[in-house]
Amino acid sequence: MKAGRIYFIAYALLVVSVAFVIFLFRSQSLDIEQQNRRLELLLQLKQAEDNLDLDVLRATSFLLVQYDPFVTTVQKMRRIKAQFESPDLDPPLGREPDLPGGVAPYLAVLEQKFALLEHLKSKAALVRNGLHFLPLAERELTALNHELGDQISRLLNELYSYNLLPSELDAPSIERRIDEIEAFAEVSLPERSVFDDAIFHTRANLKLMSEMAELRERYMSVPSTPRFNEVYKALTDFYARESDRWGRLNLILLAATLLLFVALGLALRDLYATRIRAERAWRQLRDAVESLSEAFALFASDGRLVLHNRKYVEFYPWLAESLHPGVMLEDIRHRNVEAGAFVSPISAGEDGPVCRSDQPNEDGRSHMEQLTDGRWFLASDTFTSAGELVCVRVDVTETKRRELELRKLDRALEQSPSTIIITDTDGNIEYVNPKFEAATGYSAAEVLQRNPRLLKSGDKSPEEYKELWNTILSGEVWRGQFHNRHKDGSIYWEAASISPVRDAAGKITHFIAVKEDITARKRTENQLRMNAIVFDRTIEGIMVTDANNHIKTVNPAFTRITGYEAAEVIGRNPSILSSGRHDQAFYDAMWDSLRSKGYWNGEIWNRRKDGSVYPQWLSLTAISNTAEEVREYVAVFTDITRRKQDEEKILHQANFDPLTGLPNRSLLKDRLHHALASARQEGWSAALLFVDLERFKWVNDTLGHAVGDELLQQVAERLGSCVREVDTLARFGGDEFVVLLEDVRTADDAAEVAKKLIAAIEPPFDLASREIFMGASIGVTLYPEDSTDANTLLRNADMAMYRAKQAGHNNYAFFTREMNEQVHQRMALERDLRQAIEQEQLAVNYQPIVDISTGEIVAVEALLCWRHPKYGLVAPDRFIPLAEETGLISSIGRWVLLTACSQVSAWRTEGLRLGISVNLSSRQLPLGLSTAQVGEVLERTGLPPGALTLEITEGLMLEGSESTHRWMDEIKALGVGLAVDDFGTGYSSLGYLKRFPMDSIKIDRSFMVGVPEDPGDASLVEAIVAMARSLELEVVAEGVERREHLSFLKRLGCSRAQGNLFSQPVDAQSIPRLARRVLLPSAAPAPEDLASA
Amino acid sequence: MNARTDLGLRTSVIGLATLLSVPLWSQEPPATEPIQPIPSAHDQHLCKVELGERLFNDPRLSADDTVSCARCHRLGEGGADGLPRSIGIRGAQGVINSPTVFNTRFNVAQLWDGRARTLEEQVDDPLHNPAEMDTNWPDVVTKLELDPKYAADFGAIYEEGITPATIRDAIATFERSLTTPNSRFDRWLWGDEEALSEQEREGYDLFKSYGCAACHQGMSVGGNMFQRMGTFGDYFADRGGEIEDVDLGRLNVTGEEEDRYHFKVPSLRLAVRTPPYFHDGNATTLENAIEMMGRYQLGREIPDEHVTAISAFLESLVGEHARLEP
Repeated sequence: MKAGRIYFIAYALLVVSVAFVIFLFRSQSLDIEQQNRRLELLLQLKQAEDNLDLDVLRATSFLLVQYDPFVTTVQKMRRIKAQFESPDLDPPLGREPDLPGGVAPYLAVLEQKFALLEHLKSKAALVRNGLHFLPLAERELTALNHELGDQISRLLNELYSYNLLPSELDAPSIERRIDEIEAFAEVSLPERSVFDDAIFHTRANLKLMSEMAELRERYMSVPSTPRFNEVYKALTDFYARESDRWGRLNLILLAATLLLFVALGLALRDLYATRIRAERAWRQLRDAVESLSEAFALFASDGRLVLHNRKYVEFYPWLAESLHPGVMLEDIRHRNVEAGAFVSPISAGEDGPVCRSDQPNEDGRSHMEQLTDGRWFLASDTFTSAGELVCVRVDVTETKRRELELRKLDRALEQSPSTIIITDTDGNIEYVNPKFEAATGYSAAEVLQRNPRLLKSGDKSPEEYKELWNTILSGEVWRGQFHNRHKDGSIYWEAASISPVRDAAGKITHFIAVKEDITARKRTENQLRMNAIVFDRTIEGIMVTDANNHIKTVNPAFTRITGYEAAEVIGRNPSILSSGRHDQAFYDAMWDSLRSKGYWNGEIWNRRKDGSVYPQWLSLTAISNTAEEVREYVAVFTDITRRKQDEEKILHQANFDPLTGLPNRSLLKDRLHHALASARQEGWSAALLFVDLERFKWVNDTLGHAVGDELLQQVAERLGSCVREVDTLARFGGDEFVVLLEDVRTADDAAEVAKKLIAAIEPPFDLASREIFMGASIGVTLYPEDSTDANTLLRNADMAMYRAKQAGHNNYAFFTREMNEQVHQRMALERDLRQAIEQEQLAVNYQPIVDISTGEIVAVEALLCWRHPKYGLVAPDRFIPLAEETGLISSIGRWVLLTACSQVSAWRTEGLRLGISVNLSSRQLPLGLSTAQVGEVLERTGLPPGALTLEITEGLMLEGSESTHRWMDEIKALGVGLAVDDFGTGYSSLGYLKRFPMDSIKIDRSFMVGVPEDPGDASLVEAIVAMARSLELEVVAEGVERREHLSFLKRLGCSRAQGNLFSQPVDAQSIPRLARRVLLPSAAPAPEDLASA
Repeated sequence: MNARTDLGLRTSVIGLATLLSVPLWSQEPPATEPIQPIPSAHDQHLCKVELGERLFNDPRLSADDTVSCARCHRLGEGGADGLPRSIGIRGAQGVINSPTVFNTRFNVAQLWDGRARTLEEQVDDPLHNPAEMDTNWPDVVTKLELDPKYAADFGAIYEEGITPATIRDAIATFERSLTTPNSRFDRWLWGDEEALSEQEREGYDLFKSYGCAACHQGMSVGGNMFQRMGTFGDYFADRGGEIEDVDLGRLNVTGEEEDRYHFKVPSLRLAVRTPPYFHDGNATTLENAIEMMGRYQLGREIPDEHVTAISAFLESLVGEHARLEP
């Protein structure tokens, strides 16, 4: 097209010329600016230089007294120089083609000047200094010597003149003048130094002055001005040439502009003709568009509406107001948004992009528009090559609606989670959905037009199929399960419902089968059924707890093993089963394993409902949910009591004490044998320590066995901490422990260990929430010194332990030879004692107890003696402890009681109304002397209970157990009296006298020895008597041997006494004779008489 | 943005302060006096001054982060360090006495021998000196860039951010702010007759008549020229010891024999605060220095009472700066 070409040319010209003009102006203006700046800088520099020169003149004439102006000026000049060299000047001056070297020559001479300036400054300062000083020197000299002062004054004047007008005078003539003055001057001492000083400074100054003058000359002759002129001229010439060049370029520019305007005029004329033609075409186009059945709109490339038809307004009624030529596409879009008539494309689904007309497709493809009133438009927005937008809309609402309907149904089928099969009335498959393909393994293509029976597994009988067909052919829905075969041969279960499909006329045209795979459900059901059976029938106990460890369920085997019914334990904590045999660390380890690994198994001791403890093999598993949180724990266990018992018999119980876990007696002996064997071989020593706990029995009696057991465990732990790994700590039985120390070097080593063991037991034990103090006695024996035989060593240690016990609390003792002999003796004695009762070697003697006020015998004390066939009379203190240890005391005691009671009863029938005191051993009570037995003796002998007094030791009361207390009360209830024997030797305490129902106390014979001479004994006896009186107790003094004793006791008001003063113990026959006499010493025969009697 | 607003505000505050600090004795100081008063305002960009002060006190400007500018130029002690010769990085012994950093903007050039023409140029000298900070620009720039505050502050002031040039500029700007106006002597120059005592005025007269003022003149009372050490008499021979490189003075810079033993005349504004004296720290007391100056520079023996009066006058030269107070 012709017009297009003209436009193009015109535009191109315009663009070129505008660019050209801009370029010209920019570069020219820039250049002028640069030029001006350079020239200005150069002039500034020159001006500063002139200032500097002026200041130099002022300074050398001493008109300038301070040099700050130099500093300021030089700094300023350097700044200007720096600007010349700065890259801001484009191009840097020195690089301009017609100006080689640029301002550099000028700048270089300036540096020269700066250097000279510094020297001048120094020099000028010195000169000025001298000129300043010399008048002072002159004045001083004049004051001293007028003539000399005059001469110096003249000299100074010449010097000044020289300085101001160096050309008229010359330095050598002044020099000569100084020499003259110096030569002629005859200066006496006081003026000499001042004179010399003046002359010296004058000379120096003259020299400095000439130097300064020379420097100034050099400074002034630096050719800075010619350099400046050269540079300045070169620069201005260069700029003049440059402006000429720009002038020529301007001319060219003007010509180009003219050309441009001509071209524009031509282009405008063409444009007019083209417009006329276009208008005609426009009218034709409009008529055509109006007759279209589609909606149509045309927008120009700038977005203005050019043309639209009535249909367009019908399609978009809300735009009726705004649709007129010239309206902007933007406005229409805006109106569309305001009207809200379009459905958001997001809801479009898979129907392809549903766009609004405000978003024309870039590629011109048609798209769908969905309106909120339900209408659908097929829209096509196309850009023409000229950038115009052509919008065409076709109403496709009806088509779209039907299509959507079908799509929806189709999707429902396709996406159904159930298998769907549609067959014709003959059963030929017409449709299967994707689920069918997945469930059967057959693709749709494989099964179409085939019968569903290809899935049959053969489990349904022909009758069943017949029934199915009858049902559906009659129009009913059939429901049931199929046991079908997958394409890969596997069998699966399906629940199916098959129903007929009818056409509009009600005729059955198809069948539709909806099926669901229920294989997994079936499988789970079977699994559950099987699990339940296992759960119920297994012989292993099963317990399930929840995450909080509360029992959820248990199986019958659980009940069988533990004795707990399910109902008893559900909801409770499994700790009800715990035996208490395991410490916290055991359970901690178990829980650790459960938490970290998810399971634990091992042996554990648990307690049955009946309290019995049994071992079980327990497997614990933590069951977690998908979130890794533990939901429940499953415990599976078997009772391994039998197995355990077998094992234990062989190993553990045979060798270890179950309570403390320590080696038991048999393992100890085993180890002892081994230790001795190796000691023999290696030449080692060994030691055996026998440890006996004190007060253990009391703990057991008063706090119960459970506490006793715990105490033993704690004791074992403490003792264990005192010995080395190689040593053996064993529980020997009851409260006895044995320590076997191997490889000890000296007896001291063993003693150290013994001390440690005692120290370990000393701190209080925390038991049953109270502090309990215990003690230990330890016997020590050494191998090979004491014995080389294991059993003997054990006996030795035991014996040494007894010795230690006798020595007091918390002691240890070594075994000695002497002990050994005693042992043998005691063993012999023990043997003999057993025979003594049968062979009637035992006899009861009686010692009278006298009423001090009347001197009459009121009672006798039964005393046992043993006539040994070999040793003769054996004292009770030698064999009674033995009898106590061996338990023989029980029968001996009963025999004594019976004998004494029957004897006294016999005397009473003879008219001797005597009372009888019988000693009780503290061992008799635990050995079974019951009140019933005492009562029986009284009954058999016919002795009134009041005549019998039982003497007990302080020790018995000290033990003070509940049973002892009860026993005493019962004895009292019988009417029998109770006396405390040997009072004062043990832990005499008012406390127990008050607590126990005592009738009398017997003061021990040891106190009477020193009475009345020893004030200590005397006051003790006095106190006991006074105390007894206050408690209304009768006092019997033992060991009364002298008259002084008697009179002392009388004075105290003591009621009864016993002792050799009255009578030794005598046999039964002697008593009646003694009893008939009054045994008061005043009236009585001498003791010797009694003895002989 | 904030920083700039802040700057604007501060500038206006300073402006007001400057206006108020114009001396009340607004009589012009006599141009005939060799000593001129120091202007009361330092007219420097306050943000740069603040940034420069941070850099001045920052040991990261040394190789091992131990030595800052402030180490040898202790503002509270008169801008020098009180040592005969300074001690640099890793205890290195310096070769020259540390000059005061106050009033250096009035100097003809920087350093004793004037080898740095400007304060900016001077920054490079101690930074690279192996006995002072012993580092290099790339290291310093890297270290400072790691500090977000520096990055932000440089960015706010300089388009190009942290570069050797901007660091030099900030430090030099800070140093240009270190002036000590409003000394008693300056007030006297401005016409306050009461500002100086009789002894101080007498000292000033002596200072001029002996000729001290020939070199020690200008605002800084020195600093604006070079002079030979030992104009009369041989200072170095009398001092004893080796002539070291630094003793050659300006010869080292210009290479001209004429410049042997020439040094920049030091400013006496804070002389009373900055013993010891001379480039080698040879004079330990002010009196000592005055006597030696008389002997070697003026060829005169100055009697003790005159020394005392001159010392008193020098005391009146000490002006004011916020950092100057210890």
